[in-house]
Amino acid sequence: MDYSNLRRQIIFMKKSFFDQGYLDEQFNQLEELQDESSPNFVEEVVALFLKDSPRLLINIEQAIEKYPQDFYRLDSLVHQLKGSASSIGAVRMKNECSVLKAHGNDKNLEGCRRSLQKMKREHATLKQKLESYFQLLRQVGPRNSAVNSRK
Amino acid sequence: MDRRRIRVLLVEDEEIHRVVARAVLRGAGADVDEAENGAEAVRLVRERIGGGGGGAYDLILTDRQMPVMDGHEATRRIRAMGVATPIVAVSSDCLPSDVHAFTAAGADDFTPKPLTKEKLGHILAKFQLA
Repeated sequence: MDYSNLRRQIIFMKKSFFDQGYLDEQFNQLEELQDESSPNFVEEVVALFLKDSPRLLINIEQAIEKYPQDFYRLDSLVHQLKGSASSIGAVRMKNECSVLKAHGNDKNLEGCRRSLQKMKREHATLKQKLESYFQLLRQVGPRNSAVNSRK
Repeated sequence: MDRRRIRVLLVEDEEIHRVVARAVLRGAGADVDEAENGAEAVRLVRERIGGGGGGAYDLILTDRQMPVMDGHEATRRIRAMGVATPIVAVSSDCLPSDVHAFTAAGADDFTPKPLTKEKLGHILAKFQLA
């Protein structure tokens, strides 16, 4: 197996996440926390995000449709999703949460719906990119991966 | 010099935030106890200062929004027990009014989520726990 080529692909893929604005510095922070005692730490945190976020998106959609009855619940759900996205450095999703929150505060229902659709697309793209990234990392294996490389 | 590990109480209801904060804290050499809501936090603090509890925590990190009892109320009750342990709010709500509310409840400092090595470093230095 050509590890050096795979490592290059991994580095290039990760760089593209940052260059295209999907991820921010927090992702690097997670990688710095990964070590021999928690060798899959980043993937585990991302898995938590990907486990919680689909349910949150569904609940947000329901809260929007029940507006204004569920306004506080909507605010709370978006707050949760925003926090979760920040934990992994998912900056686009985090920012879209702020937009949705603002629309909610302005009672702009159409704005909320547009923002939610945008978040769902962002989420799907991010999920696919991160899953590809971790798949590559698994191919390289813990000893050979250059995850903590800051080149 | 006594280099015993510092004892931190992490108060946070959401798993993803607990996982990240726990890793940051352990990375800094801390022993971490966790509470998933303010009521649990108050109980753990009370146990600690009771006889045989091992002494007060060196630091308490708390979120705001939690079920059962939120961070403001937990902070108020911990202070009401006469506990002087530094309490730092780690919260996503970062408006001046949020910070003020925590300070009024008795918190010593405030940092936005997520917790990072750098933020923890500042906290430990500020409260002379490094």
